[in-house]
Amino acid sequence: MSYDRRFATTWQLLLDSICTLMGLDANREPPIVLSSLPDLPYQRSGREGAAPLSFIQGPPGRNIALAIGLRAAKPNTPLVLIMSADSITLGTNHLIHAARRNIGMTLLLLRAEVTAAAAVDSMDRAGWDMPAYQRELETASRPLEWASALGASFVARADLEDPDQLAHLLHRAIDTPGFSVIGVTAGAQLQMGVLSENAWPEYFDAYREWTKPLLRLAVAGSQARAAPARSPTHVVPRFEVRIAGLGGHGVKLAGTVLSEAAGFHEGLWATQRGDYGSATRGGPSVVDVVMSSDPITYPAADHPDALIVLSQGAANRFAKDLKPGARVIIDPAEVSSLPAGAIAVPITALAREHTGKPIAAGIVSLGCVAALTDAVSLESLSRSMAAHVPRAIAEKNRAACAAGYAATRAAITGGVHV
Amino acid sequence: MHGNEAAAEGAIAAGCRFYAGYPITPSTEIAEILSGRLPEVGGVFIQMEDEIASMAAIIGASLGGLKSATATSGPGFSLMQENLGFAVASEIPCVVINVQRVGPSTGLPTKAAQGDVMQARWGTHGDHPIIVLVPSSVQEAYVLTVRAFNLAEKFRTPVIVLMDAIVAQLKEKVELPDTPQVVNRPLPAESPEAYKPFAFTEGGVAPLAPFGREYRYHVTGLLHDEHGFPTEDAEVVSRWWRHMTSKIDAHLDEILQWEEALLDDAEIALVAYGGTARAAAHAVTLARAQGTRAGLFKPLTIWPFPEKAMRELAGRVERIIVPEMNLGQIRLEVERLAGGRAAVEGVNRADGLAITPEQILAAIMKVSRLAA
Repeated sequence: MSYDRRFATTWQLLLDSICTLMGLDANREPPIVLSSLPDLPYQRSGREGAAPLSFIQGPPGRNIALAIGLRAAKPNTPLVLIMSADSITLGTNHLIHAARRNIGMTLLLLRAEVTAAAAVDSMDRAGWDMPAYQRELETASRPLEWASALGASFVARADLEDPDQLAHLLHRAIDTPGFSVIGVTAGAQLQMGVLSENAWPEYFDAYREWTKPLLRLAVAGSQARAAPARSPTHVVPRFEVRIAGLGGHGVKLAGTVLSEAAGFHEGLWATQRGDYGSATRGGPSVVDVVMSSDPITYPAADHPDALIVLSQGAANRFAKDLKPGARVIIDPAEVSSLPAGAIAVPITALAREHTGKPIAAGIVSLGCVAALTDAVSLESLSRSMAAHVPRAIAEKNRAACAAGYAATRAAITGGVHV
Repeated sequence: MHGNEAAAEGAIAAGCRFYAGYPITPSTEIAEILSGRLPEVGGVFIQMEDEIASMAAIIGASLGGLKSATATSGPGFSLMQENLGFAVASEIPCVVINVQRVGPSTGLPTKAAQGDVMQARWGTHGDHPIIVLVPSSVQEAYVLTVRAFNLAEKFRTPVIVLMDAIVAQLKEKVELPDTPQVVNRPLPAESPEAYKPFAFTEGGVAPLAPFGREYRYHVTGLLHDEHGFPTEDAEVVSRWWRHMTSKIDAHLDEILQWEEALLDDAEIALVAYGGTARAAAHAVTLARAQGTRAGLFKPLTIWPFPEKAMRELAGRVERIIVPEMNLGQIRLEVERLAGGRAAVEGVNRADGLAITPEQILAAIMKVSRLAA
């Protein structure tokens, strides 16, 4: 393979310039070069063994995104990207976001006339490697203007006919923290030199500053994470609970409180699965909790031992396929057609009475569950709530839970079935 | 603990210190949790412009010396395939967590599926080795994520943790090891002059030297020689292939993991993975209660597939049932390995609903009657 004269010259020039940089300052980290342009000139010079440069030949257009990760890992290493037209067409999205965040790297954008034999007067006004008709039809890509508008630290244009200026600008770009771009042309009649400079902080420097307090927090809080494992206090065969209502009933929170009460405070195995739909309020919302003193295989309550129904839709959908002997508790205010054998507990009314809010319906439901099984006690529910309910309203929620328990006990012993 | 949370904590425990991603349901919690946890441990979190960039960024960070990961779901996993191939070809360790939802395309965003099993194996173009792990519980989501980082470092390859929304969105109790075993990147023994970053060692890999200071080398997605320089020399390329395939094939004992339950006397074996394995385990209990000798084979490593174990299984059971939340992707593999010695059939659905123990039980009873 032979190189176009100007292509080879460009490579040699750029790499010489970068190597000079490496030689100039022994304290400086040597740069890493990224490019998807084909083969390196130095490989053809007969040199075997180690590469003189660290070089990444990433997929065309993706080197900017690759350099972002590299920058996070190596804060002090100059990253120099040598890119041509394909990098702009395939990698524009990456260029925009790296420039906008001012992530530290230096881009050398080789205009088409640098890498291809065809000399075109000014690619700034035309497209990149486009056929003539396309240049007539389309607006030009203006990557230097984009980078500048997005807040890149340093934007400049250099020409191969003045290699000293190119080397000078490259060194300045590398020394400027943040995102730098140099457009490289060949014999173009354009304004050369620095086009714009901004004083934005480099992204990962800013990130490290911002996260310093979090680092201290982690050191202080590292002991708090381990919770002692408890063995089961009593034998509980698999017990399935399904609580079904609408978004706004606090169903998901109820599932969390119940599964953690069983898992952490009763020493049982417990699973929680939900289908909360995409609506946060008003849409169907259901949570399944399975509790057992043995590890749980299937984590859904398809045939619940206890089904709590908080909406007509939930009654229609779930009040079937129950386990023999299962208990169904419905809120008569929400459900008009009641399944046979269901126990009526005014769940949302109790929620309003004790907390003023229907969202505590889920918590009241947990009191109902505690009345139906000895898998969880009011005590463990209360301890679990402490981790999930704001302290200011914890007492009200405990009262709501206890009210659900009492109403269910009364209904069972009084035989108030519908 | 929540399945996605377990994966995030597993990543931290394994030493992951860089995450780049674009949040997508049902994997979002992984990004959400790591955005808080990584800075706590001195790591870096960045939300990228898309999944193409996310995959590129974790490759860059890994090359820079940080253990790195991303998480996504089907649509993002499709976008990652280009750079995933680059990581395979240039042997850069990294971990991709794909929480599957129903596809193709945008599919059913919040609903569980296992439709990306073949994509995880063959999603990027060209022949290539890959390791794919499949957790079926929250505990396994943690343990296998740690393992994914370890295997990635050990074999210098991307490793995919293929979850499904059942496991990812499940909360259950876990018992986590205080300090999991972690594999860290070794330093090369050779001097920078003698170091071959892509050495063709039969059944092994060269240590990945810290990039960019004393050790300078060329990293490329073009097929390359042991120094990393591109080559079109067929002899070198065939040596490259031997290296790439043998680095996995020579270590199957270490890479492959599966679990067996009640298979010793079984006539019918269920082969199930991920969230579906939970329903299968329950179905085995139900079938046994009715006097049918069923058992469960649960792969934890799904690629490479445990071929030898599957051939043996096909020799000792009469029938194999493969329940999956797809239209039969692993069933094809099981059929191929059974080679007609055991009859294979699937229980399949890809409508967003989980396969229930009753569905599997019905299939067990049907084939059990056929056998009798």
